[in-house]
Amino acid sequence: MFGRRIDRLGVAAFVVFMALLPLVFPGNYLIGVLTVSVIYGIWAVSWDFMSGLTGRENFGHSLFIGVGAYTAGFMNTSFGLNGWWSLPAAMLVAMLFALLIGLPTLRLKGPYFALAMLSGAVIMQRLMLIFWEQTGGEEGINGLEPLIRSQLGFYYFALAALCAITALLALLARSHWGLILRAIKGDEATCQAAGINVTLYKIVSLIISAAFAGAGGAMYAHYQLQVSPQLFAVVTSITIITMVYVGGMGSIYGPVGGAILLVLLTELLRRFGEWRLMIYSVTLILILFFLPNGLIAPIWRRVRATWERRT
Amino acid sequence: MSALLEVSRLNKHFGGLHAVKDVSFTVERGEVIGILGPNGAGKTTVYNLLTGFIAPDAGSTVIFDGRPVLGLAPHRIAGLGISRTFQLCRPFVGLSVMENVIVGGLGPARDRSARLHDRAASLLQRVGLAGKAEVAVEVLSYGDQRRLEIARALAARPALLMLDEPFAGLGSAEIADLSTLIRQLHADEGLTVILIEHKLREFMRLVSRVIALDFGEVIAEGTPEQIVVHPAVIEAYIGRGNEGSVDAA
Repeated sequence: MFGRRIDRLGVAAFVVFMALLPLVFPGNYLIGVLTVSVIYGIWAVSWDFMSGLTGRENFGHSLFIGVGAYTAGFMNTSFGLNGWWSLPAAMLVAMLFALLIGLPTLRLKGPYFALAMLSGAVIMQRLMLIFWEQTGGEEGINGLEPLIRSQLGFYYFALAALCAITALLALLARSHWGLILRAIKGDEATCQAAGINVTLYKIVSLIISAAFAGAGGAMYAHYQLQVSPQLFAVVTSITIITMVYVGGMGSIYGPVGGAILLVLLTELLRRFGEWRLMIYSVTLILILFFLPNGLIAPIWRRVRATWERRT
Repeated sequence: MSALLEVSRLNKHFGGLHAVKDVSFTVERGEVIGILGPNGAGKTTVYNLLTGFIAPDAGSTVIFDGRPVLGLAPHRIAGLGISRTFQLCRPFVGLSVMENVIVGGLGPARDRSARLHDRAASLLQRVGLAGKAEVAVEVLSYGDQRRLEIARALAARPALLMLDEPFAGLGSAEIADLSTLIRQLHADEGLTVILIEHKLREFMRLVSRVIALDFGEVIAEGTPEQIVVHPAVIEAYIGRGNEGSVDAA
């Protein structure tokens, strides 16, 4: 992704644009929207690394987000640990959950993995309510400390994290690892005939995906300063999948754009009041219907092709 | 030196159907063996059993290169040096031709010092696809997909190459090219090959020994000359009104 000059220029333009936006239009409202959009970007890119490359769609990404956020909540409030410990801890716990759920389900073919992940997230949301004495039930956990006092500072931290995670996952996707994941999407049996341990590759990529979803969850918790069972909601996973589709599944950078675009679109449509959801939905349906490969990645490929023809 | 592949008492039931019955045979190093049989004889099932894609019944044994392989996962068996192709081409859709071959070489037998890309390029050269390295695999013709399957299988550096109907759906010129390729691979690298095929004319010229199956059983074994006059083989084919096939040889 960063091999070509035009790609490096694109990344630089994106970072400068995102960094300057809150300076050009000051105000905590915009910073808040941008922070949320960047965290959704982390979730979308982590979803795309596993599901976009291997084609095994994960309908329970919110499971990893939720366990990451609750890990942050417990560590910070119950144990009083410094908020920065939340990030590695959330990643580890999410990875553990990915291992536990991936081992039995990723051997399965067809829609079973998607259904198992979906159920996993729903079960976790229920468990948060059943064990309300420990988890705070519907209220969740309140009173987390912010990681960085300044809102702008936290936004820049989240943006830097998004860039680092995307760069890492893009490099992995370009490596032989990523090639094998795409081959798994192409044909699992042929991969096995080539001596590739398909289950192992799928589990490890789910673990990597979960780690960053969990980190995003912890960041979100320290941004909202509270966690609630809503984090596990199926709608969160569906929103992320939609962002990936709009961005361009399997392209890694596309879903980042898709996430930011859709979060900003949601905010821009607020002025339309109750028409908002309808406009949003119709826009999505049109994009998915007419652009089955998504919006961001195909546009960027076209920009790249035009650029290369010129130089 | 012992045989490369020893299959003994291989059995498989699918419910009430005894799909493979007490199949036993050996393959020596450097041989080109053919497996012949009418449709439904169990040829592909034998392949799937040998490569771990289907679990055989208890009591079956397969020794490859001195090691028992039954019960191992497909990728483990492939890692021991058995490469196979599929009856219907199964390329990695979404990848380029070159990438397809590179993935074939990413298994455990990969030589980490060698440059995978260079090796894949030379394999594509070898099967006659050098000019199409960057093409998306979906747009390849059927004949080219067959060649690609073989290049992909060879990328894993197999000791035994198992081809499942490599000539199916090909025209006569393509068949001649592909058999030349298989012959060359055998001559140059001493590769051991097992083929399943219906196209008798080319098939019989290519192989040194034939194992004929019908209803999951070995009904005859011998040189191509012996097989075409073997009463059980003639009965298996003629008995089904499939007279054209044997005459074609």
